[in-house]
Amino acid sequence: MRHAALATVAAVVVGWPWAAPRYFVFLASLIAINAIVAIGLNLLSGYTNQLSFGHAGFLAIGAYAAAILTIRAPALPVPATLLLAGLVTAAVGLALGVPCLRLEGLYLAMATLAFGFVVVEAILNLEWLTRGNDGLRVPAARIGPWILATDTARYYLVVAVAALLIVAAVNLSRTKTGRALLAVRESEIAAQASGVNLAAYKTLAFVVSAFYTGVAGGLFALVVGFLSPDSFDVFLSVDFVAMIIVGGLGSILGSVVGAAVITALNDSLAGFQNYRPLIFGAILVTSMLFMPGGIASALRKIPGAGARPPR
Amino acid sequence: MISRASLLLLLAVTLSALPAAAQQGVSDTELVIGGSNSFSGPLAFTGDQITKFGVDLYVRVINDAGGIHGRKIRTVYYDDGYRPQDAVANTKKLVEQDKVFAIIIPQGSPPVVATLDYLEENKVPLLFPYQSSPVTRGKRYVLQGMTLSDRSSKMMIDYLAGQRKIKKFAALYQDDEYGKSFLTAFEKDLARFGLKLVGAESVKRGVMDVSAQVAKLQAAKPEVTFLVLVPGPGAQALKERQKIGWTDTLMVSTGPLTDERYLALAGDAAEGVEGLSLWPDPVTSDLPGVKLYREHMQRYFPKNEPNRYSIAGYFAGMLFAEGAKRAGRALTRESLLAALESFKGFESGILPPITVGPDHETQKQGFWVRVEKGRFKQLTDWLKSE
Repeated sequence: MRHAALATVAAVVVGWPWAAPRYFVFLASLIAINAIVAIGLNLLSGYTNQLSFGHAGFLAIGAYAAAILTIRAPALPVPATLLLAGLVTAAVGLALGVPCLRLEGLYLAMATLAFGFVVVEAILNLEWLTRGNDGLRVPAARIGPWILATDTARYYLVVAVAALLIVAAVNLSRTKTGRALLAVRESEIAAQASGVNLAAYKTLAFVVSAFYTGVAGGLFALVVGFLSPDSFDVFLSVDFVAMIIVGGLGSILGSVVGAAVITALNDSLAGFQNYRPLIFGAILVTSMLFMPGGIASALRKIPGAGARPPR
Repeated sequence: MISRASLLLLLAVTLSALPAAAQQGVSDTELVIGGSNSFSGPLAFTGDQITKFGVDLYVRVINDAGGIHGRKIRTVYYDDGYRPQDAVANTKKLVEQDKVFAIIIPQGSPPVVATLDYLEENKVPLLFPYQSSPVTRGKRYVLQGMTLSDRSSKMMIDYLAGQRKIKKFAALYQDDEYGKSFLTAFEKDLARFGLKLVGAESVKRGVMDVSAQVAKLQAAKPEVTFLVLVPGPGAQALKERQKIGWTDTLMVSTGPLTDERYLALAGDAAEGVEGLSLWPDPVTSDLPGVKLYREHMQRYFPKNEPNRYSIAGYFAGMLFAEGAKRAGRALTRESLLAALESFKGFESGILPPITVGPDHETQKQGFWVRVEKGRFKQLTDWLKSE
């Protein structure tokens, strides 16, 4: 049953560019990118209960790192560019994660919120590197002789990276580390009493989360093709939080579904963004009231669809 | 399996039929155009006015008169809130999903620049973008709307340094493509008169406090201070100058800033300010086209005040309609471009006769205004930038 479902999903994902109109290929790339961010954010918020409103900042760092690498070192193959973008962002995640160890709940949310603003200001002021407010045009990336010039080529790159990172996240959640992270979420004191090194695991969650978001940022730069600090405002961070709440905290399947729902919703509301906060608010409240575990836990009631045993 | 095979067959047939099909966005009865614009964020008012009360106003007029060669115009707009990535997604959606024929009057340099390459590659006309940086120059599929910054600068410096013999200039500019393109042009035009800017201070986009910059500029003692800002900080600079009692400089606003919104925000601090205006006064002008614009506004949107933004959109709608009319019933993107390029002395009744030509610039002029009792008073005839 599981295998059949997985095979169907894989077939749809691979066949998508041949069946769907061109715009939906682009949209699917955005969904996959957001899914990577949502998984990264979920590892932090869903697994260790540290809420972040600054992930647009991490996305920006990854995006600019990848864009600058693509411009300055055009010979570098895309996987290396993305890996470096992820590592740079992870390093920033480490630098932010350590001082944030002392913060919890609302205070952590405020610190990460501030981080998002600091990143945008930094991009504005590092003009020699980022071209500030003028924005940065990202050239087409390449893997050897193969240039990623079409929506379809970029889609396959994004989907391949997303698949890799999803498998990695699923595996991580099943290891000692994954269980330790979950234990931290349930009760920090109990986890410590069971021998979990609280500081180490909370920092690790920050670093891994930043890495995922940084890689997603690199993909974002390639798919959108133009970066400007205006792109990474606080509302984007809120969108990411909405994705994991709607999808399901602490669930990888939920992250993907949440990213798909919010991205598709954003797209269909493109004509009247003034109502967006209202509609988003209503969806968030509804899903917290009636589906506190998100779509993932609602899906779990359907046999064979659950990705992770309930906590 | 049979159904899948037949589906593939259907797909193949559709695909092979595509090149033979008519121009995208043009059907027997309809002509679809659209654009990504700001309906939220810092320039939401402008975005609403240029599209829903500007382009759409002219579209209502044209459609009620029977359309263009029997086709009614339909417009589709999406909101990018001034975010380039949303502008990219919206523009792709317009071209690939809504199948628009052309993009009309998108706003702001960053969102427009983000979509330039995509539109050129896909050969989609980008009509009259509402931004003033020369980045749009020399593109096959772009027809520039607003007077470009280097042309504005030439008119301003020729008038001030040439006719009025002013020697000391300074600039307060927004630190982005908009501001910097003006700064570069000012320096180049001043050099022609053997002059240099005595001071230049930048303002980050979105920042409202300009007191430090105004104080520094005052110390440089310029006779004229150019304001290359957006309405919010532009008005703030005027208030700040009033507060510190800096009276021995003439504040001069650039074309994109010379509008009612900026006046209303500055109140009596705007009195005596001069500037280059790209549009005749939409409320008081007696030009036949402006009177007609006011009549149309009164008929279709009686609650909306006439303003420089909606008249810009109305004008864009007029140019598009005229181009599509001249291109004839067999309208294609290429024939629209050819028709627009053929404009020679086109009378709009709003601006001086429009001649387009291969440079694709529809507006190349402006005139000098001074604020007197809260409204712009025209001081010169149309100035030339060629």
